[in-house]
Amino acid sequence: MVRFKNRYVLCEVVSEDPRCRQCIEDRALGLAVRDAIARVHGDYGLACCSISFTVKYLNAYTGTVLLRCRKDSCRLLCSALPFVRHLESRAQRYPCFLNTLHVGGTIRTCQKFLIQYNRTQLLRLLQTCTNEEERQCIQKSLLSCSLTEEQPQSGDEEEDDGTE
Amino acid sequence: QNILIGCFSVGYSAVALNHVIDFKEKKQEIIKPVSPSELFPSLPIVQGTSKRIKVLTRLTLIVSDPSHCNLLRSTSANIRLYDIIAVFPKTEKLFHIACTTLDVDLVCINVTEKLPFYFRRPPVNMAIDRGIYFELLYSPAIKDSTMRRYTISNAISLMQICKGKNIVISSAAERPLELRGPYDVANLGLLFGLSEGEAKAAVSSNCRAAMLHGETRKSACGVVYTVKKLRKVEEEETAVPACKKAKTQA
Repeated sequence: MVRFKNRYVLCEVVSEDPRCRQCIEDRALGLAVRDAIARVHGDYGLACCSISFTVKYLNAYTGTVLLRCRKDSCRLLCSALPFVRHLESRAQRYPCFLNTLHVGGTIRTCQKFLIQYNRTQLLRLLQTCTNEEERQCIQKSLLSCSLTEEQPQSGDEEEDDGTE
Repeated sequence: QNILIGCFSVGYSAVALNHVIDFKEKKQEIIKPVSPSELFPSLPIVQGTSKRIKVLTRLTLIVSDPSHCNLLRSTSANIRLYDIIAVFPKTEKLFHIACTTLDVDLVCINVTEKLPFYFRRPPVNMAIDRGIYFELLYSPAIKDSTMRRYTISNAISLMQICKGKNIVISSAAERPLELRGPYDVANLGLLFGLSEGEAKAAVSSNCRAAMLHGETRKSACGVVYTVKKLRKVEEEETAVPACKKAKTQA
């Protein structure tokens, strides 16, 4: 069957500047990634990768990004991702880097991975918060999230992200 | 440097690999007696998968002269304190010496300028047999475009000789933002001409093997030989290997 196969690359934006995360936009990120591909693979690489290249999902709170590309150009894209050095948005440059978490064939697999990953992140963050009150706060907000969710699929992700 | 540690732990624990991630501290000293490096008073950092991050010390010697190699043998008291020793040869002779006779774990390959010498197969094969790993750096490639070209060309010429075995990719990051996660570094290995499996090994199992090589080097030489003999010793061996074993265990 003729079908266009895509690859979805899940990344996390890591930056020192706390303001960077709030100013992430999909357009700025797309431009930064394209620029990196152009620098590394040249015109051919940029043309190959931008056939079906979009930023599918972006979460400013956790810095999670989901990119889509063609299966053939997945290698080009993945090998150029380490070369993203900064994001530009609203005339400000934020140095950052992208940390690739998972490459999947469908959005659903990436979502599953993201849920697991957020769970482990949550555990790790809970360990670092030393105050007992903070812990109670976080636990309460977690529980309240899960009680009010009505749609399991879309609510699942938000429940984990909302506590960041 | 403390910032580096903080970000190393954030960066690598975020990826949550199952084996212990090593942090290699590079101290470059030229023609100076090696001072024992103090592990900075950092707390052992718990990683995402409930394992602690190991912090190892590492020494890199930039040798441009055969007399520098004597440093390795003479000031052994200080060198014992380092877990991993790497050598950075600048000439072809030194590369040959490093691969064949020097007691090191890693041989650094220059990425910042065009190599003044070509790799030849005999020393590279001997190094692979001895368990010495070749190291490539990737942070110059992230910083600068001309460095990137040199990095890739040197790396590919190395690949063509050694067929992708015994390669370790590491970062010479000076700032936390020059760091990249393990998955990304494995993808960089693809750019250097490695295959997918080799690239992932270059980040994970080769590093671990280099670490173990350093550990066996640190402890007495006899331990290495004992392991070899143990494999061969069987019930009807003659007396000769038995007394060899006794000698080395002593």
